Amino acid sequence: MHAEHDHHRLPPGRPATPAPGPRVKPARTTSAEVLVTAPSMLWLLLLFCVPTLIVFAITFKPADLYGGIGPGWTLQTLRSLSNPNYPTIIWRTIWISFVATAICLALSVPMAYHLARVTPRWRQLLLLLTIVPFWTSFLIRIFAWKALLHPEGLFKQALVFLHLVRPDASLLYNAEAVLLVSVYTYLPFAILPIYAAAEKFDFGLIEAALDLGATRLQAFFKVFLPGIQRGLLNAFLMVFIPSLGSYVIPDVVGGPNAEMIGNKIAQRVFVDRNLPHASGLAAFLTVAVLLPMLIMIIHQTRAEKQPPTMREVA
Amino acid sequence: MTAFRITATVTAIVALLALAGCQKAKPVLHVFNWADYLKPELVQRFERENNCSVVIDTFDSNESMYNKLKAGATGYDVIFPSSYFVDMMVKQKMLLPLDHAQLTNLVHLDPAYMRFATDPAMQYSVPYMMSSTGIAYRKDRVKDFTPSWRMFDRADLKGRTTLMNDYRETIGAALKFLGYSVNTTNTAELTKARAVVIRWKKLIAKFENEQYKNGIAAGEFLLVHGYNGDLLQVANENTNVVFELPAEGALVALDNMAILKTAQNVALAHKFINFIHDPKVAAENIEFVLFLCPNKDAYQYLSAATRTNPVIFPPAAVLDKCESQRDLGPATALYLKLWDEIKAAE
Repeated sequence: MHAEHDHHRLPPGRPATPAPGPRVKPARTTSAEVLVTAPSMLWLLLLFCVPTLIVFAITFKPADLYGGIGPGWTLQTLRSLSNPNYPTIIWRTIWISFVATAICLALSVPMAYHLARVTPRWRQLLLLLTIVPFWTSFLIRIFAWKALLHPEGLFKQALVFLHLVRPDASLLYNAEAVLLVSVYTYLPFAILPIYAAAEKFDFGLIEAALDLGATRLQAFFKVFLPGIQRGLLNAFLMVFIPSLGSYVIPDVVGGPNAEMIGNKIAQRVFVDRNLPHASGLAAFLTVAVLLPMLIMIIHQTRAEKQPPTMREVA
Repeated sequence: MTAFRITATVTAIVALLALAGCQKAKPVLHVFNWADYLKPELVQRFERENNCSVVIDTFDSNESMYNKLKAGATGYDVIFPSSYFVDMMVKQKMLLPLDHAQLTNLVHLDPAYMRFATDPAMQYSVPYMMSSTGIAYRKDRVKDFTPSWRMFDRADLKGRTTLMNDYRETIGAALKFLGYSVNTTNTAELTKARAVVIRWKKLIAKFENEQYKNGIAAGEFLLVHGYNGDLLQVANENTNVVFELPAEGALVALDNMAILKTAQNVALAHKFINFIHDPKVAAENIEFVLFLCPNKDAYQYLSAATRTNPVIFPPAAVLDKCESQRDLGPATALYLKLWDEIKAAE
């Protein structure tokens, strides 16, 4: 995806003129290309497409009492998706994911801007610091949050001392804790694609905007942000999609009212022994994830049709 | 140089194969058990005595164990289901009939606790431990504790308590609180129990099956609903933690050892079950896990403190109010629906 940015990049010192001519069309697919992509296509087909289709198919099978899948076909599961208990949990999943994504993007843009502007030495250090948390197991980092937000821990005591929370308030086991830990977990996934886009952004354009009378704020919003919009879109998907499927975070730091769809699917599988219901929910989640992808593809195809200059600043 | 490299590579491969061969020669027993439910030294002793290795995988609820197996997990030999799951797994033809000729230690089993077993003839399962579910609290932090399920209504403990994330246990606690059977299928009684759990839910920190042990030890939780032996283990390390069985009665469960039909190592699995019921081994295991292994000849080897502990050996009056779960068949759906409504209630 990022490769498409390359022709936006202008050699330093050259004025920002429209990109030279239409992009060179790739030569028609050769058999060598097919061979090269075959393993990954096969992988995707066998380990992604087929299982997804199986999940969709199981949705239409009846469940038996002991956790098996019954014979024949039924619409029972589909009807059960109108379960009056679902809207709350679906809505909660979407808003937690959406707010977490928004916060991640808001924090990542200044970070990425900074990363793209600093000296290479600083940049390497900052990038390293962004990636360092991955050296520790995801689960251990979540459990560390439990220690940090302990009801009698230092952090809580400090907040109480500063009169920011009441002494009996709980920092853990609520939707806000899930949101906090989600932002913490997914932040690097937002920083990296936005940085990749910002790094390719021609900062001469901002100078040009300033020369032409834009304020710094206007230059930021009207030139920089549109210039890195593809990075923003990638970051949005990288955060929003995994957080829709969150299971561990709400399980560990969420309370009785912070259940997300992922937890419900786990309950359907492990407690209720109802694979069709679990599949129904999982299929719903897949559709919910594919929808933003579809919107993105449509958006991209539309962008492709516009002349390159428009894409740069519009 | 090249010749040397080839020789070295070949030697390395041969050595690796020989090593792999060695490991293969040593039989492996795969055990699927609850966490902290078997003294590790006893496992090592079994490995030494039988020149084998034992691989232990753990689960945190009967449901997750069953569903993992039902979803096609194979490779386990011995599993530890509760009685009502033995029932169901027998109906599902998942368990291997036991060969009593290989289980000479079955004579030591205590008939007094067999009433909680669903397979008293031990055709498919041998009782392992009796557990009960009750309440543990921090005596340094909780004032005026009474051994009653009523404690979950205490507003001063808001956000610092946990109930089990297990629909039979938690709805069962509410049913006991109301004086009903934990196996009721009466919808009026279940509806009342739902109201009680929803009331409790507003005050708890979370539904939790595993982390309540660390939580109460670390003072994160002040009062938790959980298994007696697990919480006695915590109490042994932290004297501020006290466990009690509620006066209204509690759920007791008999956990069993059974061999799966898909077991790879049936003879070794029988040896393992027999080993656990050697009276001295059973006594050592009770001292470690602090649950009651119903092995009447083991009691003489227990320390006085363990033998007289009312949590491990509940007095008859309390035990008479306790009940064990039965497989409810189709009525399970009633409980699941209730659990969904409880989880969704704000």
